[in-house]
Amino acid sequence: MTALSTKVESGLKSFVAPVPVDRNGRRRSELLSLLVVAPAVLILLGFLLLFFYGVWQSLTDLRLGRPIIHFVGFANYLALFRTASFWNNVSVTLVYASSVVVIEALFGVALAKLFASQVRCAEIFRPVILLPLVLPPMSVALMWTTMMDPQSGILNYLFSLIGLGPFSWISSPQTALASIILIDVWTYTPFFTLIIFAGLQGITDDIREAARINGAKSWATFRRIELPLVAPYILIAAVFRLIESFNQFDIIFGTTQGGPGNSTSVLSVQGYITAFQNLNFGRGAALMVVNWLIVLAGAMVTVRAWQFVKRRVS
Amino acid sequence: MIASRSLYVRLALNALVLLAAAVLVFPLVWILMTALKTQSQVMAWPPQFVFTPTLENFRVLFDAASAGATNYGTIKIDFLSPIENSVIIAVGSVIVSVIVGVPVGYVLARRDIPYKEDIAFFILGFRFAPVLLVVIPLFSVFQAIGLYDTYVGMIWVYQVVTLPMIVWLSRSYIEDIPRELEDAAAMDGASSIQIVWRVVLPLLKPGLIGASLLVFLLAWHNFALGLMLSSAKAPVTVALLKLLNPGVQFYPVMAAGLVVTMAVPVVLILLGQRHLERGLTFGAVK
Repeated sequence: MTALSTKVESGLKSFVAPVPVDRNGRRRSELLSLLVVAPAVLILLGFLLLFFYGVWQSLTDLRLGRPIIHFVGFANYLALFRTASFWNNVSVTLVYASSVVVIEALFGVALAKLFASQVRCAEIFRPVILLPLVLPPMSVALMWTTMMDPQSGILNYLFSLIGLGPFSWISSPQTALASIILIDVWTYTPFFTLIIFAGLQGITDDIREAARINGAKSWATFRRIELPLVAPYILIAAVFRLIESFNQFDIIFGTTQGGPGNSTSVLSVQGYITAFQNLNFGRGAALMVVNWLIVLAGAMVTVRAWQFVKRRVS
Repeated sequence: MIASRSLYVRLALNALVLLAAAVLVFPLVWILMTALKTQSQVMAWPPQFVFTPTLENFRVLFDAASAGATNYGTIKIDFLSPIENSVIIAVGSVIVSVIVGVPVGYVLARRDIPYKEDIAFFILGFRFAPVLLVVIPLFSVFQAIGLYDTYVGMIWVYQVVTLPMIVWLSRSYIEDIPRELEDAAAMDGASSIQIVWRVVLPLLKPGLIGASLLVFLLAWHNFALGLMLSSAKAPVTVALLKLLNPGVQFYPVMAAGLVVTMAVPVVLILLGQRHLERGLTFGAVK
């Protein structure tokens, strides 16, 4: 064995060995570990710098194709705050994200209970829950666009069978927001279902049995025992979903592109249109920063709620 | 508990499960049917459930040579190169993420390094990065350094999605491997290389394959990055949206495109359902 390969091997050994023997070995293993971590951190650090660069851009009058950039302070933000359409963007974003999270949590609990009922069909069809989550969101958006066509869409036909409709779905300002909320609910309710399902399985039969012996009916068992125990699961799922819904772009861009009018123009879509279609990068970046602050605030509130519930359960 | 349920309750529960499954599956079945119809069949009212299927839409989608000579008049669709782009970008992203990320997962699971939890949080936090806020400055940077509309640029950008996921998943899979196995192998005098190759890697393999499938899926899903940072190298999700021209609605051809983009993930479910569930729910499902 050559000296070099021995060296490499001993280096690897100190990196992999479960218990570092001497202090020198420990230091070397620490160094190697840091070396291993470095590329990943560097790649991601690039994005962090870009993030700050984006925040800086929101303070400039950067437009595509114009070489001279001026620092304008908060002018982009002040200009936004003065327009009604900006406040419409904010309210559409809030309505969209909060409604999808609440509706998906409710359906998620119901579906999880249903699929945890251990009836024959539940066991056969359990893999189906995963289906909407693995499809590209853009494909989901276009799939529903096809089905929501007011003239030839299958949805209006199905609703006409039970005497409802016809609806204009995403083509009318009155129903567009509700329609894209429906699409989001179809796509991401399974996310809640899978997580809550895992939570329900963590509850042992002993606990349920104890509740039953104490005379609790099944509804009371669910409300008093199961719901409090799965509450942390519901809330952690809500944290993830809230962040993703505030950032939702594909489903809305694939169906309505913010229209008709500005009835579905959430901040992310408006930011894209402002930056890449109106070529006003500074203003677009400002919209994204506002969106990011909303994400941060929403995430902090739901994380707090999650921590509170988790502490109460344990 | 199951025995205590009456027959009617069980029937009702089964019926509800069937209804839920139908709601989840029907849209896909309907799109598949749409993809096999002609334009006039798609526009028919009431919608047709029984019809003679045709593969014409798939031909229009892929047969670039015959572009212009379709039942839909003069249209030119190139769907093959977007698929090629998506596969190259997604596979490239997975390879880079696995090479860079799995060792990080091992270190975070097994080693003591300073600021370990901070590093872990920093990496995982990117799962929720405001991607669009990064893309606006990235567009200017990419234009300046010539990475706009290149595979290399796209694969690097996709790391913001795929790398945190690989690190997090491989860490959680390695934590599942009993540490005693590594210790025991070391006691028996196995060298470190042998430990990693003979003990850790074989046990990690199923998890690693599952994680790679999931990360491939996330890369396959991506739309926004491709929309803003590429044109000729745009992924298939961007090409899909172009099939929906305002005014001219080629629903059947678009449905064929949808079937292609959705067939890939459905195949992946069959390959590794449990791993996908675990990854998609951030480990809640094990």
